[in-house]
Amino acid sequence: MASRVSLKTKGKGGKGSKGSDEKSAAQCLKEWSTWAMKKAKVATHYGFIPLVIIIGMNSEPKPQLYQLLSPV
Amino acid sequence: MAGLVHPATTTIPAEASKTAHTKAEEKTDYMNLPCPIPFEELQREALMSLKPETFEGLRFDFTKGLNQKFSLSHSASMGPTEIPSQSAETIKIPTAHYEFGANFIDPNLMLIGRVLTDGRLNARVKWDLTDNLTVKANAQLTNEPHMSHGMFNFDYKGKDYRSQFQMGNGALFGASYIQSVTPHLFLGGEVFWAGQHRKSGLGYAARYETDKMVAAGQVASTGMVALSYVQKVSEKVSLASDFMYNYITKDVTSSAGYDYILRQCRLRGKIDSNGCTTAYLEERLNMGLNFILSAEIDHRKKDYKFGFGLTVG
Repeated sequence: MASRVSLKTKGKGGKGSKGSDEKSAAQCLKEWSTWAMKKAKVATHYGFIPLVIIIGMNSEPKPQLYQLLSPV
Repeated sequence: MAGLVHPATTTIPAEASKTAHTKAEEKTDYMNLPCPIPFEELQREALMSLKPETFEGLRFDFTKGLNQKFSLSHSASMGPTEIPSQSAETIKIPTAHYEFGANFIDPNLMLIGRVLTDGRLNARVKWDLTDNLTVKANAQLTNEPHMSHGMFNFDYKGKDYRSQFQMGNGALFGASYIQSVTPHLFLGGEVFWAGQHRKSGLGYAARYETDKMVAAGQVASTGMVALSYVQKVSEKVSLASDFMYNYITKDVTSSAGYDYILRQCRLRGKIDSNGCTTAYLEERLNMGLNFILSAEIDHRKKDYKFGFGLTVG
C-alpha cells in the first residue's frame, strides 16, 4: 500500500504531496482527471481524422468509398 | 425620402443594419445596435491585409470535395525551414512535409483535421449548439510529451454583444466581452489567467468602423499595445497600417501595406519598420486552380524567402 502510494506520487511529480498515505478528494480528482486527459489526448490523436471521415461519408449525398482514394 | 430597409428580419448581418442606420438620417436606434464581430477578430482586416501566410519553397495543395459538406485535402511542401538558433544568423534545414486533411463543413458543425507525416495533428471543431451559443475547440497534438496544446471556447452571442469563455491546457483560462456602443463603435475587454506560468492579464479593445475605414486598438496588461487602421480606397484597393508597441520591453514595430483584390488575382504587400518587405500574390489561373507567389525579404537579418505554389480545388 505504501509502495503503491509512492508510485502514484512519483507519477504526478510529487505536486502537493505531503509524503503521507492519505489521499484527499482533491488529489484523487486530480489524478483521475489527469488520467482521463491522457486517454482523451490519445483518443483524439488517433481518432479525430477517422471521425471526420466517418461523419463525412455518412452525410447526404453519400459519397462512394472509391472517391476517398481516387484523385479525380 | 429614400426608402428605408425594413429591419423586420431578426438575423440582419452587421453591414446591412449599418447601411440602414446610415441612411436613417443620423437617428441611431440604441436598442437595435448591430452585433459586433468576435473579440479575436477585432483586427481582422488589418491582419488579412498585412499578414499573409508567406512561405518558403514549394507548396502544393489539392482539395478534393466528395460532397457539398465533406472534402479531403492533400498538401505537400518542400523547402528550407528555420530552426531557432542562439546566434544572429538564421539556420535553415531543408524539409519536406505531406499533410492530409479532412474537412466537414455543415451550417451547425464544422470539423477540420490536419495530420502531418511526423504525427502532428491539428484539429478544429466548431459546433453551434443553438443560434446564440457556440462551442469551439482547437488542438495541436504531437507525439512528443508536453508539447500538445488544446483550447476550448464557449461563445455566447447576444443582441448587441458577444462574450466568450476559454479554457486551455496548462490551466489557461480566459474570458472576453465585446459590446456595440454605437452602430460604428465597438468596445470590449478580456481577462486571462495562465496557471502554469502564474500570469494573469487584462486587456481592452476598441474598434471603430465605417464603410470606408476600420480603426482598431488593443491594450493589454502584458505590455502590448496594438493599433491598426485600414482604409478602403476603392472596391479593389485597401491600404492598411499597423503599430505594435510593448511598453514593458519597449519594442516597437510598425508596418504599412496594401491589398489589391482584382478579378483574377489578389496582391498584398507590406513594408515593416524592421526592414522587412513582403509580397504575396494569388493568381487565379482557371476555375479552382490558383497560383501563389510569396516573397519575404528581411534586409536587417539578410534573410530572403521566396516561395511558389499551386492550389487546386
